[in-house]
Parts: sequence; structure tokens; C-alpha cells
Amino acid sequence: MKHSGIRVENLMKQFGEGDNAVSVIKGASFEVEKGELAALIAPSGAGKSTLLMMIGCVLEPSSGKIWLGDTLVYDNNWSKADTRALRREKIGFIFQAHYLIPFLNVLENVSLLPLTNKQSEEQATQISSEFLTYLGLEEKLHAMPSDLSGGQNQRVAIARALATHPEIILADEPTAALDIERAHSVVKLLRDIAKSQKVAIIMVTHDERLLTYCDKILKIVAGKIETIDNRDFEEGQNNPVI
Amino acid sequence: MINLANKDIRHTLSKFIVTAMGVGMLLGIVLIMIGVYRGMVDDARILLSDIQADLWVVQQHTLGPFAESSRLHQDLQDTLKSFDGIAQTAALTFQNIQLFNRQNQAIRVLAVGVDPLGDFQIIPPHRLKAGRVLQAQHFEMVVTDKTGFQLGERLSLGRDTYTVVGVTEGTVSSGGDPLVYISLKDAQNVQFSYSNPRIRNDRARGQPTQATQLVNTVVAKVRPGYLPEKVGAHMNEWKHLTTYTHEQQTTILSKNLIERSSKQIGLFTAILVLVSGIIIGLIIYTMTLEKMKEISIMKLIGIPNRMVVQMIMQETLMLGSIAFVFGNVFAHLIYIQFPKRVVLLWPDSIALFFVILFASFLASLFGVYKVMKADPAAAIGG
Ligand SMILES: Nc1ncnc2c1ncn2[C@@H]1O[C@H](COP(=O)(O)OP(=O)(O)OP(=O)(O)O)[C@@H](O)[C@H]1O
Ligand SMILES: [Mg+2]
Repeated sequence: MKHSGIRVENLMKQFGEGDNAVSVIKGASFEVEKGELAALIAPSGAGKSTLLMMIGCVLEPSSGKIWLGDTLVYDNNWSKADTRALRREKIGFIFQAHYLIPFLNVLENVSLLPLTNKQSEEQATQISSEFLTYLGLEEKLHAMPSDLSGGQNQRVAIARALATHPEIILADEPTAALDIERAHSVVKLLRDIAKSQKVAIIMVTHDERLLTYCDKILKIVAGKIETIDNRDFEEGQNNPVI
Repeated sequence: MINLANKDIRHTLSKFIVTAMGVGMLLGIVLIMIGVYRGMVDDARILLSDIQADLWVVQQHTLGPFAESSRLHQDLQDTLKSFDGIAQTAALTFQNIQLFNRQNQAIRVLAVGVDPLGDFQIIPPHRLKAGRVLQAQHFEMVVTDKTGFQLGERLSLGRDTYTVVGVTEGTVSSGGDPLVYISLKDAQNVQFSYSNPRIRNDRARGQPTQATQLVNTVVAKVRPGYLPEKVGAHMNEWKHLTTYTHEQQTTILSKNLIERSSKQIGLFTAILVLVSGIIIGLIIYTMTLEKMKEISIMKLIGIPNRMVVQMIMQETLMLGSIAFVFGNVFAHLIYIQFPKRVVLLWPDSIALFFVILFASFLASLFGVYKVMKADPAAAIGG
């Protein structure tokens, strides 16, 4: 039985109007199941971020359908006017830079969203410190982001994305700012999270070495998505990481 | 819930405090301006309330000694004493003179001429800090402490030398000049007597020479059971004089002397408050601009506008409040240095607080607007 995390049907996005109109996504359809880590790859400017932001309910598509979990969130219109609430409740975001709030400490950065989602102070703190501990940051709960390394901050950002127990996580080049070793460990972590938390994760990456951890590769070709199943490769012997 | 404003301010505490101090100084100046006004109003009333006259009798159709020049014959004092309902009278002169201190600096004072032997108390005992009131008909002077003259000091005025026999505290004219008291006779000499050449010249012209038996006003107290208004109205029937009650005199002072100054200061204060509001607004606006990236991120990950707007508003109100505290401290530290009286009153201060809160609230709307406009998608640009 399939547990669909993200489903996209004939999604289109064009910027501008009339003569100036530029079609970036021209009918993308794909699916990422819960527990899957999917890589989104394409050359620069092909529309990776655009696609991700549409799925993330940040950017309004021109047409098509988007399901997050069992909810049809977009059907030529947002199903819910408050897309921000959708984001807060269903989606975790991770970016190239950590984008932590500089005036909040690590724990506060992570617990801010659960608190906004009306969780109690205790619950939010507990969940946040659990994830931070899981990510190896139990010693840094009260540190400020400026006192942490890039890799540590990126892990805090991952904890922040996880803290609301989202159904999906969207990661736009989460490893771009990290060295290759850290990049590997972050992607492995995302993969473990996908499996253990049963979340559907889409990760944009330019680094082919990281594809090996992914269950699926979504490739933008001429504004459409080609889905490549990567599990066979993953089970192959020439995969040094697993 | 995490208080974002608190956290943000603590993160940049020193910068925030320094900014608040700067705005605070501005507010301090606003407080001083209000204090200067209060001081003026107070000063204007000191002489009136010290003298505590029920009636001020002045030259007909004039507004009295403080607003317009007024001349009366001194003997009116005695005539009025026998008027029905009058208990005490005193003839007074007022004139601005320059005294010179030991450093030969000119000090502008208002000299009040009083009859040393009169029964009408012109210098209330609580004003007297040292020495005594005038007792001799000539060459004695009571000065106020602001003039800097000491008890026993000898001062030259006109053709004569005076001795300081008493020092009063806090007595100033309605214009804020320090007061000195001299005998009525001396005062008349200084005010109305001419130089010898002038007298000779006048004699040669066949003009009457001296008319020193003049005063500027006669003040009176009414007997118990008499209403100053009624007694005054009776006196007015004499046609050659005009009377004012204590209240009317106070109104004349505040209307003619204070009103324009107060408008001036009021306008000044309003502009300063406006400027403070704009500055607070700009500060909050730049603080918001500096956080634009974080704000976009917050919006992107799903933090509602309400929380971000609340952060901006709270920061603004905190800035306003801290600045207000600094402003008060600043004002209380420096007001003593001002040459004229500055009266800092808590009600004024509290009123300013609410005005500033309101102004900061309006000012924060710039920042709030910016927050509402922030594009969450812009967060991940680049
Ligand atoms: N707001 C916009 N208005 C007009 N065109 C836009 C807008 N946002 C993106 N585009 C265009 O859409 C195309 C896809 O942009 P997008 O940022 O999704 O690319 P990307 O695949 O994420 O590239 P990169 O790998 O460099 O991050 C680009 O050609 C870009 O110029
Ligand atoms: Mg991109």
C-alpha cells in the first residue's frame, strides 16, 4: 500500500503575461511517497526552486494540482486561503543557508514553530531538544546560531524543519554551503529522517555524489519531470556508502 | 511563547540602549521646553501671589503695571484707605534697572519700590532667606538670591550707594528677571527724577520740574465681608482709575504676557514631539530593514504576520519607553543649569509619555507595512 506524501499533477508555472510570458514548469507530474527521499536535479535556471516553492505553498502555480498527504492543497486555486498555516502545519523547509533567526538561541529557533502551532511550552521544548539531541546538538541547546559552525547550524535548521512533525520536507540545496563530508552526513541524515519519521522529502542538489542516498531522482527536462527510480542503484555493490 | 521583541533587543542590547539614549535626549529637551513654559507661568505669578492683593488699582484704561505703563499719584494710597471696605493699601513702583556686580557684569533686575513703613506686607516672610526687610526710607535694598549679591554688599544705583539688608529666595518678575526691593522714595528718585542738566533745562523752559510723587500702582486688601469685585466696581466710578481683582490681574498676566510665549513654546514642543516620532519611526524602520531576511524566513516557514508585527510594535514601544526614562533622567540632570526657571512636573511627563507611545505606535507602522509587504519567496533568493 502506498502512502503518498507529495503528489503533483500537470503542474504549470509561467512568469509574466502576454509576450513576456516565460513558461518555466510545463506540466509536471510526479509523486513522492512518505518515507522517501527524492532528489530534484536540473541545470541552473530550469525551475527547481520554482517547483519547490509551489509545492511549499509559497509560490502560486499557474495551473495543476498538488496533494500534500491526503489533502488536495492546490487545484487551480489554494484550498485554504491561509497558505502560511498550511506551511506551518505540513511542511518543513531547509535552505542552502540555515536562515536561523540570529537573536534566538538554538532551542528557541527550533521550538518557535511548534509553539506557534499551539503546543505547550513543555511539549515544544521536549520535541525540540529531542530532535536536537538526535542531530547531535544536545550540548548546544542554548548557544546562539552565530556561535555554531555552518554544519551545526544546518543541523539546527533540519531540527527546525522536523519539529512540527511535517508530512513533507522541502530542502533547496541544503548541502551547498557545506564541505563534502558534512554534505554526505546531512543527506544521510535526511534519508534516515525520511525513513524513521515517515516523511516525504524532496531535496534539490547539484552534487551527483549525493544522489546515491536518494530513493528517487526527479529530473526537470523541458519543464516536465522525469522520475528515475534509484533504489536498484542503491542496492548495487558499487555503492561505497551503504 | 517566546517574546521575539525581547530576544531581538537583548541580542543587540547596547545598540538599542544607545539609540534609546539618543531619542531620550530629544525627549529630555521636550520635557525641558515644557518645563520652561511651566517656569514662565510660575514666574509670572510669583509676584502676584507674594503680594496677595485683593485689588490692583492702576491708571485708567491701562492694563496695570505689568502689561502697560501706569502712573498714579501716590496720595491715592491714602485716599483709598478711607474707601468703604478697604483694609490696607500700598503704593508700589516697578522698574527694570541694571545693577553691576563685582565683576562689573550688568544684571538686569526688576526693582520694586515699597514703603518700608507701610503695613502692607509685600515680601512674605517665607521668602526671606537672610537679613531683614527694608526699614529705612533710603539706600537699603533687599535682593533675591539669583542676583548673586551678598548680605551687606554695597551697590551703586543712580546717584547713590545702597546696602543689601536682606536676601530673598525665588522671587522673580513676570518676565523672569530677579527682583530687588528698594524704598518707594528711592524708587521714585530713580524712576522719575531727572538729571541736573535736564532740570535746569526744564526750568529754563518754564516747565514744572519734578513730579516724583508718582507710583505705578496701588494695591489694596479689602475688609472681611467685602467682595473685591464690588469694592473695585465702586472705585471704578471715580473715573480716573481702573481696578483689577487678583484673578483679573492673573488673567492679564497670562493673557498678555504668557499667551504668545506659550504658543511659541507649544509649537516648538509639538515640532520636537513630531521629530521624535519621525526619528523613532526611522529607527524602527531601519531595524526592520536589517531583519528583512529573517522576517521573510519567518513568513516562509509559516510564522503568522501577527507575531512579526507584534515584535515590531513591542520593539517600538520599548524604544519609546526606554527613551522616555532616559529623557526624564536627562531633563532632571540638566534643568538646573538653565538661567530661567524650569519646572518639571510629573503630570506633564506622563502626558508626554502617552503622546510618545502614540507617536511611536504610528511610527512603527512604516516597519509594519514593510513586514506585510515582505515576500516569503524572497527569503531563498540567491
Ligand atoms: N519571480 C520571477 N519572475 C520571473 N521569472 C522568474 C521568477 N522566479 C524565477 N524566474 C525564472 O524562472 C526560472 C527558474 O528559476 P529557478 O530559481 O526555479 O531556477 P533553479 O532551477 O532553482 O536555478 P538554480 O539552480 O540556479 O537555483 C529562471 O529562468 C528564472 O529566471
Ligand atoms: Mg534554485
